[in-house]
Amino acid sequence: MSDTINRRLGPLFWIAVGWLVLISLLALLAPWLPIKDPDAYYLVRGERPPYAPSATHWFGTDQDARDMFARTIFGARVSLVIGFVAIAFGMLVGGTTGVVAGYLRGRTDRIVSFVFIVFLSFPSLVLAILITALLDRGLVTIALTLGVLAVAPVGRLARATTLSFAEREFVTAARAIGAGDRRIIIRELLPNVVIPMGALALLGMAVAIVAEGGLAFLGLSVEKGPTWGKLILIGAGSRELEKSPWIAFGPIIILFITVLSLNYAGDRVRSYFDVREIGL
Amino acid sequence: MTSLQTDGRVADGRLLTVEDLRTTFATERGPVCAVDGVSLTLDRGQALGIVGESGSGKTVLSRSIMGLLPSTARREGSIRFGDQDLLGPNAPDMSRLWGREMSMVFQNPMVSLNPVMRIGEQIAEPLRIHLGMSRRDAKATAIRLLRDVRIPEPDRRVDQYPHELSGGMRQRVMIAIALACGPTLLFADEPTTALDVTVQAQILELIAEQRAERNMSVVLVTHDLGVVAGHTDVIAVMYGGRLVEIAPTKVLFSQMRMPYTEALLQSIPRLDQKSHTRLNAIPGRPPDLHDPPRGCAFAPRCAFARDRCREEAPPLATAENPDHKFACWYPVGSPEYHETKERISAGLEIGSTS
Amino acid sequence: MQRLAASVMLILAVSMLTFGAMNLLGDPLFNILGPAAADTKPESLAKVAAAKELYYLDRPLPERYVRWLGDMVTGDFGVQFGSTGQPPVSELVKERFPRSLTLLVMAQLLAAMIAIPWALISAARANKPADRISTVNSFLLIAMPNFALAVILKYVFGIKLGWFPLTFKATDPWLTRVYQTFLPALTIALPAAAVYQRLLRTDLITTLQEDFILMARSKGVGRQRVLFKHALRPSLFSFITVFGINTGTLIGGSLIVENIFRIPGLGSAIVEAILREDFPVVLAIVMIITTAFVLVNVLVDAVYTLIDPRVRR
Ligand SMILES: Nc1ncnc2c1ncn2[C@@H]1O[C@H](COP(=O)(O)OP(=O)(O)OP(=O)(O)O)[C@@H](O)[C@H]1O
Ligand code: SF4
Ligand SMILES: [Mg+2]
Repeated sequence: MSDTINRRLGPLFWIAVGWLVLISLLALLAPWLPIKDPDAYYLVRGERPPYAPSATHWFGTDQDARDMFARTIFGARVSLVIGFVAIAFGMLVGGTTGVVAGYLRGRTDRIVSFVFIVFLSFPSLVLAILITALLDRGLVTIALTLGVLAVAPVGRLARATTLSFAEREFVTAARAIGAGDRRIIIRELLPNVVIPMGALALLGMAVAIVAEGGLAFLGLSVEKGPTWGKLILIGAGSRELEKSPWIAFGPIIILFITVLSLNYAGDRVRSYFDVREIGL
Repeated sequence: MTSLQTDGRVADGRLLTVEDLRTTFATERGPVCAVDGVSLTLDRGQALGIVGESGSGKTVLSRSIMGLLPSTARREGSIRFGDQDLLGPNAPDMSRLWGREMSMVFQNPMVSLNPVMRIGEQIAEPLRIHLGMSRRDAKATAIRLLRDVRIPEPDRRVDQYPHELSGGMRQRVMIAIALACGPTLLFADEPTTALDVTVQAQILELIAEQRAERNMSVVLVTHDLGVVAGHTDVIAVMYGGRLVEIAPTKVLFSQMRMPYTEALLQSIPRLDQKSHTRLNAIPGRPPDLHDPPRGCAFAPRCAFARDRCREEAPPLATAENPDHKFACWYPVGSPEYHETKERISAGLEIGSTS
Repeated sequence: MQRLAASVMLILAVSMLTFGAMNLLGDPLFNILGPAAADTKPESLAKVAAAKELYYLDRPLPERYVRWLGDMVTGDFGVQFGSTGQPPVSELVKERFPRSLTLLVMAQLLAAMIAIPWALISAARANKPADRISTVNSFLLIAMPNFALAVILKYVFGIKLGWFPLTFKATDPWLTRVYQTFLPALTIALPAAAVYQRLLRTDLITTLQEDFILMARSKGVGRQRVLFKHALRPSLFSFITVFGINTGTLIGGSLIVENIFRIPGLGSAIVEAILREDFPVVLAIVMIITTAFVLVNVLVDAVYTLIDPRVRR
């Protein structure tokens, strides 16, 4: 069984998953890994930073002679947590409302659907700007803000999937033998909704990670510590790009590979389970 | 319409000669031979009927002759059209012949017209491409063509879109498009299957009338022997990609030799019934083209099949009439045929369970 | 008509959300004035009085909302409190909005100009090597975050090759400014083009299998003409829908890209306003963007009727 899945998901899928596991482990274990201190200044006597990539500084250093590789790995901690928390929140809230709306139908469904539409018709970044501008810029606030943005797309998919399953025989059968709503939702519907949601979660995590970067470029990302978005921003000025392009490009490459892996894995899972395309 | 005709056209006599045509599709499950060694000829002004069950290769045959095939198809054999060799090394650019020398009326008029293009434009297109007509001339000609195919109020219809017309009207438009440049050869692939019974007869009548008027050759494809009976000079019967019987229409109906043709005839739908309801559909299924049977392809379904049929494929043999050919070991009228027939009527054997 | 009503409902809902956010998340006075709200200096007190008056802060919430909405509709976006001169927000908007609009329109035009030929070429060669390569390319582009692409394009075309200027001067002649806007527009356009390409390619391939395409071929219409005259138009529906919906995403993206390429449009206006904690400006821009987005989608509906006669009455 496992090798039929492998054959159809393709080797690239496993490379993508491998990368995601690797970067997550690096981020998780960063403080205990033999890498440089992200906040230390590695000044070399007689030379002005930033230093180009070398054997000591794989990704070079920034203007303050801080090691870009270490900063990128530590940046992964924040970026991945944001991505993960955001999509987990979106799944929990959006998934629940979507399934309930799709199952109960009628008025609940109409109200929930309208709320989804309102949220979807907001350019999502603008909403993020609004919330982060009015609240603080802590890790939790940002992550939850992006999570709120994930609610509508996730909810819409959950609702659509539920609708398509709610009429199937196994649900009607469960209802016929007198199973309660809660039982039907949890035992019969959720397992079927989970797979397409899983694919969406991978894509959604990519979206959230990118959104953090976008907020960073607007000066609205997490205030403390490095994030991928903030690291790229620091290297993105014209002068920095001209003199020390590595500052931006190190984190860009890592961010891009991660986002690409999430997208690819999500895409494969989706087509593997033949989930119809629903855009984020 | 003579002014439209190009030089080197066949005014009379042989228009089309197909020899040993074989069309193979490359598919995921391997090659599929959808047309297998078909030979036939057609004279100017003649009408040829191609008959067979669904999947017997009628469409593929007519599209093979026309060259309208997907890129997965490969053709072998020879096709001569007038003095041109369509399969040889000097084959002409087919898109110069399409619409001008040969054109096609498709089965389903509901999906064969461009939904977002005015009817007039669709008729004008070949006129402008092939004959270099100006927009205005092309529109005037389009209106005349609409009148030719008996569409009322052609001046108004010319500016309408397909969805504003009924199915029968749309099929008339299709015919108008096909006739626009005055082709010498018209393919009509089940032109009436998608239409109401009453409209069916009108469309067939229209094609026949235009054929006579333009001295045009027609290839009429259908799964219904009743349709071709009154409208063709020659009938070719196909089964599993092969020609199994071919004869002048009268000869075929009076002296048919293939048990398959006979079975087809018995399955003609009656006019007083809704189309597609058969009195007796032939039991069993057509052969799998991925893995064709060794002997006669019809053997698994043939009431008259014997061991030889399953071992050896019957060649296309000539009957008493030199224009009549058929491929069967124990044809209608043979001693073995009568023997089987008697046994069936005596109730000793039912079908081909042996 | 029904669509129009739904659009108005949508704008109303969004305005409530925006207004609610400003009034319910924290102290509205603080949200409007920033730190000055807590000051007891005389000029701050004057500001507080002015803000209370302007934003009807002494009225109950529903009335405040209605009045605020009324002001918005009549083009009175309030006053910038963060800056010293206090010019009306509408003036700021009038200055910045055209730049953002130019950028967005240019980006969408570029995206369509790239996507349509790209889709036609890959649909005509569906599943051949050229099409496979293009699919990989569009996948990479879609995954590329816009700020990353901005940095890459800025580095390659602005710094290394020097083809495009990296400055934007409001005083330059119009054409020069369009030239200066090209690189940021391309940044927004490329991933959008990839999205459109994928959609349009799929629809084109479906259309190319329709009978009326074969019919057109059988009339002797050449391959190119079949593609352009017969296949393209009936394949445009999902492209146009997504083109409209995507405008929202692109607006978000353009705020970021404006900041990277230093175009003083709404994007930089909103960032400056946030840094100054000047919320009336933020609110005004959010409302403008959302309204623009809803309007685009109404427009998309109108375009439908242009390309498909079956939708017309
Ligand atoms: N593009 C293709 N690729 C592979 N096989 C094909 C293709 N087109 C047709 N065939 C096969 O060729 C055979 C003959 O098909 P064809 O359409 O010619 O039948 P037909 O006699 O016209 O039937 P119908 O009455 O249903 O139109 C079928 O078995 C079909 O599966
Ligand atoms: S050859 Fe045999 S199986 Fe084939 S049609 Fe004739 S009698 Fe039937
Ligand atoms: Mg057919």
